[in-house]
Amino acid sequence: MKTTPVRRTARVGVQLLVAAGGVVFAAVLAYAFLSALKPGGEVLSVPLHWWPSSFEWHNFARPFTEAAFSRYYLNSVFVGVSVTLLNIVTCTLAGYSFSKFSYPGRNTAFVVVLATLMVPLEVIYVPLYALVFDLGWVNSFAGLIIPAGTSAFGIFLMRQSIDSVPDELLEAARLDGAGVVRTLLTIIGPLVRGPIAALALFIFLMNWDSHLWPLLVASDDEHRTLPVGLAAMQANNLGASSVPMMMAAAVLALLPTIVLFLSLQKRFVEGVAMSAGLR
Amino acid sequence: MAIAATLAVVAAGSAACGGGSDDAAGGNVTITFWTHTHPPMIDLNKKLIAEYESKNPNVKIEYQTIPNTEFNTKMLTSLSTGAGPDIINMDDNALRGEYLPKRLLAEIDPKAFGKSSVGEVEADYVPGTLDGAKDAEGKLFGVPSEFNGTAFAINTAHFKDAGLDPAQPPKTWQQVVDYGKKLNAAGHKQAFNFLYLHSGWYSQNFQTLANQTGGSIVSADGKTANLESEGTKEALRLWVELARTSGISDPKSSSRDATAPFQDLASGTQSMAIVYPWSMDQIKESNPDTYKNLAVVPLPQPTATSTPVNRVYGYFWAVNNASKQKAEAWKFISYLASQKERWLTDVSFVQPVKGWETSAPAKAMPFIDVIAQSYGTGKYDQVGPHWAEVQDTIRDAVDAAVFDGKPVDEALREANEAVQRSIG
Amino acid sequence: MTAPTRPDQASPPAVNPRHRPSGAGIRRRRRVHRRDLLGALLSVPALALFAVFAIYPGLRVFYLSLFDYSLTAPPEFVGLDNFRFLATDPRFRETVLNSIFYTVGTYLPALVLALLLAIVLRRMTAGLGWVRLLYFLPVATSWVAIAVVWRLVLHPDGLLNQTLGLDVTWLSSSSSARWALVIMGVWKETGFFLILFLAGLARLPAEVHEAALVDGANAWQRFWRVTFPLLKPITAICTIIAVIRGFQSFSPQVVLTDGAFGTEVVNQFVYKTAFESARMGRASAVAVLMFALLIAVTMVQLRVFRREDS
Repeated sequence: MKTTPVRRTARVGVQLLVAAGGVVFAAVLAYAFLSALKPGGEVLSVPLHWWPSSFEWHNFARPFTEAAFSRYYLNSVFVGVSVTLLNIVTCTLAGYSFSKFSYPGRNTAFVVVLATLMVPLEVIYVPLYALVFDLGWVNSFAGLIIPAGTSAFGIFLMRQSIDSVPDELLEAARLDGAGVVRTLLTIIGPLVRGPIAALALFIFLMNWDSHLWPLLVASDDEHRTLPVGLAAMQANNLGASSVPMMMAAAVLALLPTIVLFLSLQKRFVEGVAMSAGLR
Repeated sequence: MAIAATLAVVAAGSAACGGGSDDAAGGNVTITFWTHTHPPMIDLNKKLIAEYESKNPNVKIEYQTIPNTEFNTKMLTSLSTGAGPDIINMDDNALRGEYLPKRLLAEIDPKAFGKSSVGEVEADYVPGTLDGAKDAEGKLFGVPSEFNGTAFAINTAHFKDAGLDPAQPPKTWQQVVDYGKKLNAAGHKQAFNFLYLHSGWYSQNFQTLANQTGGSIVSADGKTANLESEGTKEALRLWVELARTSGISDPKSSSRDATAPFQDLASGTQSMAIVYPWSMDQIKESNPDTYKNLAVVPLPQPTATSTPVNRVYGYFWAVNNASKQKAEAWKFISYLASQKERWLTDVSFVQPVKGWETSAPAKAMPFIDVIAQSYGTGKYDQVGPHWAEVQDTIRDAVDAAVFDGKPVDEALREANEAVQRSIG
Repeated sequence: MTAPTRPDQASPPAVNPRHRPSGAGIRRRRRVHRRDLLGALLSVPALALFAVFAIYPGLRVFYLSLFDYSLTAPPEFVGLDNFRFLATDPRFRETVLNSIFYTVGTYLPALVLALLLAIVLRRMTAGLGWVRLLYFLPVATSWVAIAVVWRLVLHPDGLLNQTLGLDVTWLSSSSSARWALVIMGVWKETGFFLILFLAGLARLPAEVHEAALVDGANAWQRFWRVTFPLLKPITAICTIIAVIRGFQSFSPQVVLTDGAFGTEVVNQFVYKTAFESARMGRASAVAVLMFALLIAVTMVQLRVFRREDS
């Protein structure tokens, strides 16, 4: 392969540009983090100071002492993990069913599931709230978890992924006497670990971000999740001196999903590729 | 797990007609109580709840606070299903605009107040102050938790910097402009600003001015949009003059954070502002240094007049019509309302009972004369159905005129059409 | 090359009701039947949840679009009145235009940027592998938390103005508020499409590229003649996802501007009409129109991409 020096220089230049762009993207988060460490008056100082004059680490304790932040946090984690587990089960089962079995109504069901992706969620909240109320799930974890227990995207992703599992493998397993469930656990499961990780991450991220539904269905202190809690905290914390604390709260709220994402990103990328039918 | 959950769903779904909140069985009562988020108020509510619960061991109060911007949404969703709290604490706009026309509230229960008739309850209050919780037929649905008049605050240190006498505050809006230019010259670039927060704030500022200029948003019968009337145009012109044309401050530099409504005044960047009693309390808390320099004076008027016009608004305690324990709920409200002096001392919330301004805690309040005077000259806001849409329209009109420089007549013509569509 | 994957099965006409997995032919008689029945049962948990918590409320939305319903009084049948009102409502028209602006303004740059970045990042010199993670970061952030941060970034004395030496009031003028949302949107969404494009590129056979190199094609020609055509399927998916995400945008507008200064989008209009003004019927009608629009746009996109394929 021939590469002229000019071309090489150009390529290095482009790469450096892209690297610099990446730094700019991340700078927003660095700005948030450093602002969270600043003394109150320094946050919007002119000219801009990136570096805090003193590191006020205690700002990160303030959300916990001045608001019920640990409660919001635990709730978000609990609801997020429950919803994710529930989705892994329901979406994998449904994906398997839609992909590898043949029965009347199967395609119709799949299309209807996908069509729900196009309905703006905000507007179904009133009939949904009425339903959840009738079930007695207002201000309960059930109301936060069970309606979110499956997802159209998840079913789509799992169906696509399981489609790529060769039928010959399943046939061989069947001839070995493996039942439907055992085939799922021993043959398909290991092959779609990547997509499952992707699904888990995707659902957890979505749930972590969910604001309006938790607000409607569970707004008492005991069941508040992070977004609802953050919004309430903003309303309760007046004045410039609270800005670093709010930044600290935002950073703390951002942290778990960022860490989770960075540790699972390889699988996420694989899973997304798989669902996109690129195999 | 998923299957079990699904079965639970299906089973519960088929028996979905029952449910609802627990009845007040066996003497033990749980009352749910929702308010907006105002930190000092929350603290006092918590104290009063604890006291009430220890006096009434069979009663448990479940207290929830919900940010203002989300309050109505949450109320409507829950009330529409027959749920919702037993006690609501909401402003007169929401009461008269949404809850009363929809018949969501229960009429006041005089027995809980130890009175034999609603008239006796009313007799305790300054005439007119309960209008914010009355329906079209004049029936009463709540008692006020706070009643606010409009006043004006000036930073006396800034005034001295500009060679102005703080004892001679501006009496007219024209004087605000004149003084503003002098304040600018002395280096105080934000002489006066309105608050540009959510649309509720826009419309309260707008109605404050419209009350003074004789304008209104809709006609008296509430059927026709009235934004193109001369008085209403004058109100917006006044706003544009103060905020844009006069140049006494840059509206774009106004901090727009609804969580800190008086931040610019409190931080000492802004010299003059429209204020309410509770806002002074808040500034005292957050910025004691600036607070020392602030004086509260009567709200400026369009022209020098002996009959000034203000705007008043109130928050009321009211009971959900779907509540199964109305009597107990009113009893608790009666207890809250009986603590008038603490509301005044701890939170600067005025309970407009007759003679409140001469009570000991009122006398101890700074600027009591100005504040008391503003109550006597105030008018409640106009309110109608779908008022949230109307408020959004007013916000858009003010934004267009003040920030984008759209001519007042044009902005109001568009707004008038929009309001007509909303109420028509 | 793989067809533009499965989303085409989302559109009813494309569905072949007799579609069977390729292995189905091997299966035999009675057992097959029992197995399929068991297989069908596996979809029950998901379908039951869907039926109760998505489809039933969704159908109710269609039903309610024909009613005047204020939440607190029984619905009153009004036929097509809600749709008639919307046809002439300036506010609705404006929110549709705002949604289009946000969708095109955010997702066109995000898609182009993501594609270009993917091409460079794919062949990033060793040691710079961490750079892609920097672009991925915003994908993992939640709107509510990140909005708290961006309000500070977009503040007149905030990061953006001070770094670029600007004096723009990003969130309080009609000329800039929509761009503020676009800037935050591009920042937040580019990484998501970058992931998709990187995944697409990773699947491209290396020989194709080598062959083009031997041909002496320059980088630009290589991209247009070789890489881009091969990326068609993933581009199709990205475009469809982008349109859906763009039109369903809600949180950024709520948290940054509350819809002021010409930034109110359709979903916000739906939300406000439903929950603030308690006009459930009208809000449902908007939802129905949005649903029809998204289905139509998706089908057109699929057609276009499929035609270009052949």
